[in-house]
Amino acid sequence: MIKVRNLSKSFADNIVLKSIDFDVLGAEIVVIIGPSGTGKSTLLRCLNYLETPDTGSIEIAGVKVEAKNATPKKITHLRKQSSFVFQNYSLFANKTALQNVAESLISVSKMAKHDALKEAESVLRQVGLAEKLDQYPSQLSGGQQQRVGIARAMACQGKVILFDEPTSSLDPEWVDEVLAVMKQLAKQKQTMIVVTHEMQFAREIADKVIFMEGGSIVEQGTAKQIFENPQHQRTKEFVARSTKSYTSAFDSCML
Amino acid sequence: MQTSLDFQYIIELLPILIKYLGVTMEMAFWGFFFALIIAVAMAIVRVFKLPVANQLASLFISFFRGTPLLVQLFLLYYGLPQLLPIFSGMNAFSAAVLGLSLHFSAYMAESIRAAILGIDKSQMEACLSIGMTRLQAMRRIILPQASRVATPSLMNYFIDMIKSTSLAFTLGVAEIMAKAQMEAASTFKFFESFLAVALIYWVVVMFFTRIQHLLEIRLNKAYS
Ligand SMILES: Nc1ncnc2c1ncn2[C@@H]1O[C@H](COP(=O)(O)OP(=O)(O)OP(=O)(O)O)[C@@H](O)[C@H]1O
Ligand SMILES: [Mg+2]
Repeated sequence: MIKVRNLSKSFADNIVLKSIDFDVLGAEIVVIIGPSGTGKSTLLRCLNYLETPDTGSIEIAGVKVEAKNATPKKITHLRKQSSFVFQNYSLFANKTALQNVAESLISVSKMAKHDALKEAESVLRQVGLAEKLDQYPSQLSGGQQQRVGIARAMACQGKVILFDEPTSSLDPEWVDEVLAVMKQLAKQKQTMIVVTHEMQFAREIADKVIFMEGGSIVEQGTAKQIFENPQHQRTKEFVARSTKSYTSAFDSCML
Repeated sequence: MQTSLDFQYIIELLPILIKYLGVTMEMAFWGFFFALIIAVAMAIVRVFKLPVANQLASLFISFFRGTPLLVQLFLLYYGLPQLLPIFSGMNAFSAAVLGLSLHFSAYMAESIRAAILGIDKSQMEACLSIGMTRLQAMRRIILPQASRVATPSLMNYFIDMIKSTSLAFTLGVAEIMAKAQMEAASTFKFFESFLAVALIYWVVVMFFTRIQHLLEIRLNKAYS
């Protein structure tokens, strides 16, 4: 479904991605974890060509773009194969929830406006926002905005949805409703790549976990392998640290 | 000849002058209409940094901001036909509209460009992420948001343009300033005539300032 080969990216003389290779199968849920500043967001953004890779190739659903001969046309074609859920939602500020979700259907899929709005409404219903169709983003809570963000990504009908820390700008009270929507998507066999710091959630939904550090993939495996039996020293440390902070947060809640 | 102000004369002159206000407003509306089209086009060219077109737009903007409007009007109306005979058929009204459009488009392009650049870049990224092209993103998401930001300053340019139409009398356009000038010359009541025309401009500008204010209130409510 997705093939990434030899993907590299630098910002000026800061090498952020060092020859990344990985594959994602159809209906697979891949979670990317790793310390801050490791290049997780950059990797995800490269897949959507929001950042332009320096070298390597990206293939999604049979559409392949090589960094060295990427044209705007190929890039747009590749982008249509995936959609993106942003950390800060990035909803269209001048559009209602319904219009946000319908936008890709109208301007990209060239659906008739009436059909697009009907389709958008049904997607918003799936994320539990049937009551908020005509609200502007500024009138919605963080959790509701992010669910619109997910609905917008779902409506594109790309083969894969890319999530970049979808819950980390949210107040704690809104995190669960967003994770619930993502779990529901997982059940529907939606292919997803998720960058997250929510380790418990990663364990629950991931078919595959990729641990990144310093611009490279250090280790990848099933959630069980990575969380319970990591091979690499760096992975062990990271998993121990993040699981501990999770447990201690859990403990302090219990007190 | 009187030494004191002839108020009676001003009162009588007002309705005569107001008949010529139509020409003034027509120039301002057409001038603004074309200026807006040119300005949006130049702003997009500048934001996307399209090669060649971007340099031409910069040169254009620099010239029309760097020289007086009166000089530009003379250049267009008296100068251009000499160079390009096709323009010799251009009447004074068209020349004035053309001059005003070009002059103000230079300023408006910069303010529209600033408004576009002021829109958070995450909006463009969101557009691209759902498969839109940059041009679609501009038209459907970025420009509508930028227009809200730019409207107050564009209204200022419109008001400025109304006042600047008075220069068209130097090309022989029979607008309100030209009429006031004629009246002044024939009655020697210079102060009264020009005071009357000033009062009319003032009222018109106050009217549009009021509209600008109402528009701003509406725009601020739109989606926040
Ligand atoms: N647009 C940019 N220009 C310059 N440097 C950038 C840019 N975007 C990211 N970087 C740099 O690239 C490196 C990786 O950033 P990235 O955001 O991909 O990390 P991350 O793994 O997502 O971190 P976090 O967990 O904090 O989100 C960082 O050093 C960052 O400063
Ligand atoms: Mg990140």
